[in-house]
Amino acid sequence: MNKRLTAFYWMTVPAVLLFFIFLTLPALQGLYYSLTNWNGFGHQYHFVGFKNYVNLFQDDNVGNAYWFTFRFAIVVTIAINVLSLLIAMGLNAKIRFRNFFRGIYFLPNILSVLIVGYIFNYLFSNVFTIWGQNLGITSLSTNILGNEQLAWVGVVIVAVWQGIAFNTILYLAGLQTIPTSLYEASNLDGAGKWREFWSITFPLIAPFFTINMVLAMKNSLMVFDQIVALTNGGPGRATQSISHLIYTGGFRGGEFAYQSANAVIYFIVIAMISILQLRFLQRREMDD
Amino acid sequence: MWKWGKRLSVLAAILLLSVFISACNRDDASSKVKMEFFQNKPEAKGSFDKLIAQFNQEHPDIEVTQVNPPEAETVLLTRVVKNDVPDIVGLGATDTYSILAQSGIFTDLANTKLPSTVDPIYLQMLKDVTGIDPVYGIPYAANANGVMYNKTLFREMGLSVPKTWDELIATAQKIKAAGKIPFYFTYKDDWQTNLPFNALGPNLVGIDFFLQRRENKVTFQDKYREVAQKQLELLKYGHGDNFGKNYADGNRAFANGQGLMYIQGTWAISEIRKANPKVELGFFPLPTGNDEQAVKLVSGIDTLLAVSESTPHKKEAEEFIAFLLKPENSKQYITEQTLFSAVKGVTQDDPSVAELLPYFKAGRVIDFADHYIPKAVQLNSIVQAFLQNGDINAYLAKLDREWDKVANRR
Repeated sequence: MNKRLTAFYWMTVPAVLLFFIFLTLPALQGLYYSLTNWNGFGHQYHFVGFKNYVNLFQDDNVGNAYWFTFRFAIVVTIAINVLSLLIAMGLNAKIRFRNFFRGIYFLPNILSVLIVGYIFNYLFSNVFTIWGQNLGITSLSTNILGNEQLAWVGVVIVAVWQGIAFNTILYLAGLQTIPTSLYEASNLDGAGKWREFWSITFPLIAPFFTINMVLAMKNSLMVFDQIVALTNGGPGRATQSISHLIYTGGFRGGEFAYQSANAVIYFIVIAMISILQLRFLQRREMDD
Repeated sequence: MWKWGKRLSVLAAILLLSVFISACNRDDASSKVKMEFFQNKPEAKGSFDKLIAQFNQEHPDIEVTQVNPPEAETVLLTRVVKNDVPDIVGLGATDTYSILAQSGIFTDLANTKLPSTVDPIYLQMLKDVTGIDPVYGIPYAANANGVMYNKTLFREMGLSVPKTWDELIATAQKIKAAGKIPFYFTYKDDWQTNLPFNALGPNLVGIDFFLQRRENKVTFQDKYREVAQKQLELLKYGHGDNFGKNYADGNRAFANGQGLMYIQGTWAISEIRKANPKVELGFFPLPTGNDEQAVKLVSGIDTLLAVSESTPHKKEAEEFIAFLLKPENSKQYITEQTLFSAVKGVTQDDPSVAELLPYFKAGRVIDFADHYIPKAVQLNSIVQAFLQNGDINAYLAKLDREWDKVANRR
């Protein structure tokens, strides 16, 4: 065997093995359990075929969780990308204390999601309400996390607040790949700031836009920690995301097999969305 | 290739050796036996820490450590799925305990001397909840669910303890008219919304309902209308942000005199006193109807102690439980936690719960409703959603539908 090839095999084979043991195997196990009625810890279970899948499509709690998660993911993805692109452009400009601001804006990404969630939980219930009362704004004087109609907005605020940091860094990296000579040239041609953005900045960071959209979408489809820390799925099931439903139903409810079936479907859905998004957005990159 | 093979085999040998050494360590009699005590009450963490420290000191060869994560029941189930059952488990006599006991992950303690030290009433209660005979858990402490009130504020307003439903509502109206908060609700946490449900259901409909519901002979739609109406009625006497405050917020607020009544369990007393040691508390059962004599106190097993079937240290685990069950230790625990002891002869002398003792003495107690409702129904979130939208018909239909769905999936 060629010596160089051997080295490549030594790189890939262990990786494939590890990937198989820690990712593929559990996924296959989940697929197997989804065809049984196992509660997760009993010593016996029966093979029930596709019963779990049939029940899944008749369960309005599942439909409710998908509806919440998609609505949440779309709003969060758009908000994160718009805001982080704006912030990145600001941080890329020649402003004073630029490095200081870059540090500040990255801070939310370092903090644990759970801790941020618990802090915001306290703020929503005991601080913002008092501000609302003092300012005489009725909609702010009660905790929005306790309101069936508005709780999801609270979760969105926290998810966006924290999600911006990472995407800003990616956009910042993208903005730095654009040669300044292009801006100088457009300046000579008399292009305005708006024109400059649409004709130079945005097309040139297109690959970063693609990856940011896909990552933000994927992360918000899998939202879990924020839900646990902020609302625990409530009030009622108003903010129950799919992963939260799988966790609570599967473990707390002792319906391991049933929620395994849900997880299988969820996996397929996320994979399909990511692939579609990549295809669509990458084609857009080519067009420019 | 050969070189790599050699390195791999060395690596494998090291791995094997380390496994071997750690296996030896476990059997080594000279080193300490390490046991994990997993319990689900955040309120009781400090009390158990003290008892464990004392136990470890008295038993130099055993080291017990306490594990008390948030959402402990769910964490416990997650660990059971991974076959990583803690050596000793402290848990309420809930549906979670039922399904765990039925799955055979706990040791049957019937043939040890442990059951003889506790009150047989509680052993019977365990059998009723699980529907099986083996003693998989030793009852340790019982709680009560009712209405906590601020004695000082009650005196200031010249109020007396209400004995019937009408008196309760009249009292609440009087407090509201005075511009104060009758009930401090903490309905941001969904489990808080089921406290009135737990008192109203068994008193107005009875526990038998659940046994019949399992056989599909009755429905929530037939029997639970009054429970739903009364729970909605109570909501009129809350504060401005009933769904915005959680349990921790509520304990702090009630300790500081916001709200005159607090529908809560006795487990909260210790937390409230942490926030304000001087607060003067009283406790009465929630009057669910207008026949004073018919009102029963809702009480259940707050903590039972179970030993894992798979632990290699069953003897030591029993020793630890026997230690906790010693009258002086049980007394210390229930005094700190204001609970009621399952151990024979240990009484609760705290003035805040003195009004409840006659109910225990006369046997006028009834178990929690949610101990009989499968966890997968997720009662708490259903009740919470109902209290938000107030739609009784949709609520009762939902309870029936969820119950049937869960039954169908089993």
